[in-house]
Amino acid sequence: MSVGRAWGRGSRFPASLATPVLLAFAVFIVAPCVMLLVKGLEPAAETGAWPDFTNVLGVFDSKVGQQALNRTIRISLIVTVICMLAGYPVALFIARCGPRWRGLLLAVVIFPFLISAVVRAFGWTVLLGDSGLANKGLIALGLIDRPIALVQNEIGIIVGETHLLMPYMILSLLAVLQRIDPNLRHAAESLGASPVSVFWRIVIPLTLPGLLTGTLLVFSLAMTAFATPFLLGGGRTPILTTLLYDYAFTLFDWRLAASIGIVLLVLGILFVTVHRFVSSRGMRSYG
Amino acid sequence: MGSLFLRSGRGLVTAMAVFWLVFLVAPIVVTLASSFTSSTYLTFPPPGWSVRWYLSAFESEWVWSTFWNSVVIAVVSTAIAVALGIAAARVLARHRFYGRGAFEYAVLSPLIIPGVVVGFALLNVSVLIETQDAGLLNLIIGHTMVTTPFTLRSVWSSMAGSDISLEEAAQSLGATRWSAFWLIVFPLIVPGIVAGAIIAFTFSFNDVTISAFLSAREARTLPVELMSHIEYLPDPTPAAVSSLMIVITLAFFLLVERTVGLGVFADR
Repeated sequence: MSVGRAWGRGSRFPASLATPVLLAFAVFIVAPCVMLLVKGLEPAAETGAWPDFTNVLGVFDSKVGQQALNRTIRISLIVTVICMLAGYPVALFIARCGPRWRGLLLAVVIFPFLISAVVRAFGWTVLLGDSGLANKGLIALGLIDRPIALVQNEIGIIVGETHLLMPYMILSLLAVLQRIDPNLRHAAESLGASPVSVFWRIVIPLTLPGLLTGTLLVFSLAMTAFATPFLLGGGRTPILTTLLYDYAFTLFDWRLAASIGIVLLVLGILFVTVHRFVSSRGMRSYG
Repeated sequence: MGSLFLRSGRGLVTAMAVFWLVFLVAPIVVTLASSFTSSTYLTFPPPGWSVRWYLSAFESEWVWSTFWNSVVIAVVSTAIAVALGIAAARVLARHRFYGRGAFEYAVLSPLIIPGVVVGFALLNVSVLIETQDAGLLNLIIGHTMVTTPFTLRSVWSSMAGSDISLEEAAQSLGATRWSAFWLIVFPLIVPGIVAGAIIAFTFSFNDVTISAFLSAREARTLPVELMSHIEYLPDPTPAAVSSLMIVITLAFFLLVERTVGLGVFADR
């Protein structure tokens, strides 16, 4: 029997193993999230009935909330596009390298994403500051003649989140690039296809599932990043997550904070559902 | 003409790839280099070199106290996350039952729920039951929950290839279920456990999002304390502390690379 049976005899619920795990998640994840829902949907007036959506909708009615939501979406879109445009050449390059270099470059991609977001944000504040390397470089190139503000604003958040999330895009793309059969390329070339058309008609279509996975991953993580926008955005450019923190710890309005939490929770679940749907379809159509 | 086009196309890809790879390491290199500055403010490149900010970091009370907090939290939460991860992986790899999908969804849910939501939701509960001052306990609980999906996935994938008939043979030869697991399954999943534990430890040690919500006054983690120092103190001590955190992370990274390989990150 070379291929073992995957399933044991137990087809019943494995109570002794599963109960402690389920209990931990019920008490420390599910219950707190339900409480958050209850709190965020509490009626604003004494007489109101639960659930009351005025607070959740109110998040987007207030000027601050509206701006934070728009900023969150705008930044996430920009970061996703940059990660796409940057991740593609990096993944192609790494896939093309010999095994020795590939190992080293993979380490260059993976190592930063293990490092604390605080440390990385710190590095960027040094690089992007008024006397930082980025401003010096731009001045040397003659693009600007005095230092411009690159942190404590949206630019800082975009740079930081791009750095935070690009590894996800590169790894998603590499996963599919490495599965492309080199014979496909050879066959196309021997039949007279130019390298450019091989790229557009073979490499790009075959990497679309990875691109899609990476895009959804980067976008959803950009929407919910916290430490990076907190440190690089400064106080005047809140996004949803940092606004939640502000409401909780500066303004002590926990009902509003809970409302933002609900919005983020719904977004998180939405992206995973879309991701599952897309990746199961992707698997089917691309083998 | 065609080959010229091809070569310039390849050159373009290489140039862009090199640019973005430099981009990825730039803040790390700059942090390391600027921590050795001799001046009292941060610039890159530094005007001169010294280790004074490392001495200042080692003499700072906040560095040591929060460092030990972080270590205790990471060790305890990793140990619990590994135990939960093994149990959950065993359930998912060996048993088929009604609601298995829901079980998987529940255990992986911390990957779906944004960190700020987990942190704030747990804070709400701790305020309700008035344990908000038990910072260390709250942090351990929060870190355990968000790192369990990592240990689960890593252990689960190392179980996937193993053969149930070995275990059954051992049991039919008189081994108890426990000794069959301990002698046959466990040695096979050790690499998965090691990888999962290292990822969980690194995540916990470096986390800011959950910790920012759950840190109490006397129980702050190193990254959270570092965050407030970066916000308010423009002296290079945080650069030295950041560099030490990079070195610690590098040690764990090399440990993964040497023991189980970088594949654990790439095959996600």
